[in-house]
Amino acid sequence: MSSVWLPCGDYHQNYHEDQGWWQSKFIKGKMILLLLVVFVGIPLLFDEYWMSVATMVGYTAMGALGVQLLIGYAGLLTLGHAAFIAVGAYTSTMLILQFPWPQFMLDSGLAYPVSIVAAGIVAGLWSVLFGLPSVKVKGFYLILTTMAAQFITVDFILTQYVSQIGGRGQAFSLPPGTIKIGPWVIDTELSVYLVMVVLLSLMVIVLANLLRSKPGRAWVAIRDNDIAAEALGINIVWYKLLAFFVAGFMAGVAGAFWVCNTAALSPEHFQWFLSLWLVGVILIGGVGSIQGAIFGSIFMVVVMEVLQMAVIPLADYYPSLLMDFAYVKDMAFGLAICGFLIYEPNGLAYRWWQAKNYFNLWPFSY
Amino acid sequence: MELFFMSLTTGIMVGGIYALVALGWVLIYKCSGVLNLAMGELTLIGAYVTYSFYEAGVPFILAVILTLLVGIVLGFLTERIFLDKLIGEPILAVIMVTVGLSFFLKGLIGYLWGSDTRVFEPAVFNIKPISLGILRISPVYLWSFILAIVLLIVFMCFFKYTRWGLAMQATADDETAALSLGVSARFVYSAAWAIAFMSAGVGGALLGNINGINISVGYLGLLVLPAVVLGGLNSVPGAIVGGILIGLLQNFSGAYLDQYFPGGVKEIVPFVFMAVFLLFKPYGLWGWERIERV
Repeated sequence: MSSVWLPCGDYHQNYHEDQGWWQSKFIKGKMILLLLVVFVGIPLLFDEYWMSVATMVGYTAMGALGVQLLIGYAGLLTLGHAAFIAVGAYTSTMLILQFPWPQFMLDSGLAYPVSIVAAGIVAGLWSVLFGLPSVKVKGFYLILTTMAAQFITVDFILTQYVSQIGGRGQAFSLPPGTIKIGPWVIDTELSVYLVMVVLLSLMVIVLANLLRSKPGRAWVAIRDNDIAAEALGINIVWYKLLAFFVAGFMAGVAGAFWVCNTAALSPEHFQWFLSLWLVGVILIGGVGSIQGAIFGSIFMVVVMEVLQMAVIPLADYYPSLLMDFAYVKDMAFGLAICGFLIYEPNGLAYRWWQAKNYFNLWPFSY
Repeated sequence: MELFFMSLTTGIMVGGIYALVALGWVLIYKCSGVLNLAMGELTLIGAYVTYSFYEAGVPFILAVILTLLVGIVLGFLTERIFLDKLIGEPILAVIMVTVGLSFFLKGLIGYLWGSDTRVFEPAVFNIKPISLGILRISPVYLWSFILAIVLLIVFMCFFKYTRWGLAMQATADDETAALSLGVSARFVYSAAWAIAFMSAGVGGALLGNINGINISVGYLGLLVLPAVVLGGLNSVPGAIVGGILIGLLQNFSGAYLDQYFPGGVKEIVPFVFMAVFLLFKPYGLWGWERIERV
């Protein structure tokens, strides 16, 4: 936490302050302001369209946080995160549709919240299963095993077997009114947005606290040098698998959230593209920082929306452009990843850090 | 028994194509240490370029040779534009640049050629199967296999007997020593990418002849990853054996496991096998084992 330079004359006197959750009153005020903006400001100011964009940002950020934990903090390269999001989404849907809930739980709207937690646990365990090879291999080999997780889970198990349950064919759809939390039915853009904000805030808080406690320090040690970490007495098998579990849990929650956003579910939503997209998001945002995952999500989703808007006026002259927008999007994403890695390898979070330090020290830099 | 021999021959023949693509992958890795995840898109590009030449009336063999030339140009360009600046960067950065490259190429291919399945018209190879004793092989497989083997031999000779091939081997072995002897490492990297584009391109053209060309040919290109892991990442003979083994594995599982696990078991088995194989022998059959020290 001491990575930010404090303003002149402001310094920590003991370890406790240095590790503090809110380092100064100013930061506390800033965070409360941020929460106010997110919970009150955006719902008041945005119209339905931009609210849905904000929801997409949140969904991307939820997925990206798990990837950030694995790649940015524990050094476990993964290219199969969409599989765990899919497992969460399917667990939640199957529970809502097929599980014989007692009537009082349906009435009090507990079914969906319980299914979110269950989705997290199932996805976490599934993630641990595919994290097992990480005990022996790392780097490129780990990328391959997580890729295998993606293809086995989504393209085989979910597409060929789970999707066929109930004879609905490829896609599941949830009847309106089935997704409710307590007395509130989640069906408007505003309610979906609020669910997203609550879940995302909880995730950020949990992850930030994990990272500044023992597991977080162990993960960073493993990332920096796993052999040295082992020599220091860190149980690297346990902590690697813990990282997979936590990341998988977050992916599962993100997947369960996706169900309430679309009210329909198909393996198409969780292709390998999504896994790569999430890794791209954290590379653009900045590897090894929580803000990075969120900045990256905002950047990627908003840039894609703006690109789409820019394409619409051009479509009068080049009608093919609108039809082939998916390809333009692919190209833009590919170029963005390459451009960031070549010219801005530290990502957006680094620029944010620089700007923040500049203002912290302003007007008298050291 | 007939099913067994059918799977055996088809497996070996498709495996030959995988081996060709895997060879390109291993070359890039050996020479420049880049782990390339864009191999699927390189095969796609090869398939579409060949298709375009063929549609324009160029005979198939000539179209393949023109594809090789286009591959050289594209390989040099790719290396100079995207990969050159990343030498010595962390592994994730390099891998993700190839992922970015694969997105870019996939988007470009989709934009230029659309998403419909294209078929070589008129068919390049005779559809009627050739009978060899009890075996019946469709000529597409046979010719693809022969072409793949010829190209493999050409590449082998290139490495053994030409100046550039020796320079590439030297760089792969010890970069600093090669530099001190006057080998241009930048040229070697570019040449490795050019060869990868070429071998993937021909592989794509051949795969496109079997089932028609669409985005799923790119997925077949991804099968090189199990192949190279099986053979060991930096072993050229490993790539060839790995490619053929993956082809066999795919066809045998398609023949015998499909009744127990209906659906796309054929597409998944190489990856399942790879995940399990990594647990027991992460360095493959002939890869170098790295001993890590703090």
